[in-house]
Amino acid sequence: MSVFYISESNKSIILFLIEIAIVLGSIGVVTLRKIVYSALLLGFVLISISLLYLILNADFLAATQVLIYVGAVNVLILFGIMLINKPDPINLKLWTIGDNLSMIVSFILFIILTINIYSIEWSSIQIMDSQSIPINSVSTIGNHILTDMLLPFELLSILLLVALMGAILIAKKDDSSEMNTLIKKK
Amino acid sequence: MFQSVLIIGAYLFCLGIYGLVTSRNMIRALMCLELMLNSVNINLIAFSNYCDPVEIKGQVFVIFIIAVAAAEAAIGLAIVLNIYRNRNSARIDQFDLLKW
Repeated sequence: MSVFYISESNKSIILFLIEIAIVLGSIGVVTLRKIVYSALLLGFVLISISLLYLILNADFLAATQVLIYVGAVNVLILFGIMLINKPDPINLKLWTIGDNLSMIVSFILFIILTINIYSIEWSSIQIMDSQSIPINSVSTIGNHILTDMLLPFELLSILLLVALMGAILIAKKDDSSEMNTLIKKK
Repeated sequence: MFQSVLIIGAYLFCLGIYGLVTSRNMIRALMCLELMLNSVNINLIAFSNYCDPVEIKGQVFVIFIIAVAAAEAAIGLAIVLNIYRNRNSARIDQFDLLKW
């Protein structure tokens, strides 16, 4: 059960606003010319997705989304953009056949997914009323992580360690060439 | 409400595919990848909220996906930085070292 109670009509209004924010913001992420603007819009989209999680009774994951995606990943992407500040060449060909083709393919995929979502009888699958069952999501997630999903959790910690070391190793300046020039100078 | 959340997930996934295929900047491709991972997370949370509200196993999977996405972003940006240092460019269509 979420901490606060919102009535069903208010919920649908809030959901509509959040969906408008996500739709417009993600279009901006893909199509804007300046990449700094699209990175900032990506942060906006991620924050609206965390609000969507709050509507869907996942309060712990909303906090995690803001902490990790907005606080870490988006800031990392902004750092990457600012380290690589090379403006695009002006004479870039803006619209090619491949763009058209991929737009048509992804649009067809979206249409197929939408038709599938609306054609399935969701009421035959038992959809429970999530408001009526009071659960504490943090303790439930913790129970799952430390009992029946212990092995993936530990593997994930190894993965994070390897990713940390690998990122440092890859992004480190290759100092062998500098050493060679120093040796030559001597 | 359930279907509209699913449609938002499908929309973000298709837009992420489109951006990933058409973007010429490598960092923008990474950002579109983040959008796709977020759409998967939205789907998992919607299903765990409406079909399994007692044992929310979908949310545990979302935590795993978020951790993998963080690792992927760190590694990807490190690779982009390294390539930029070597080739002096961050555009995808200029990385043709392995072409022939």
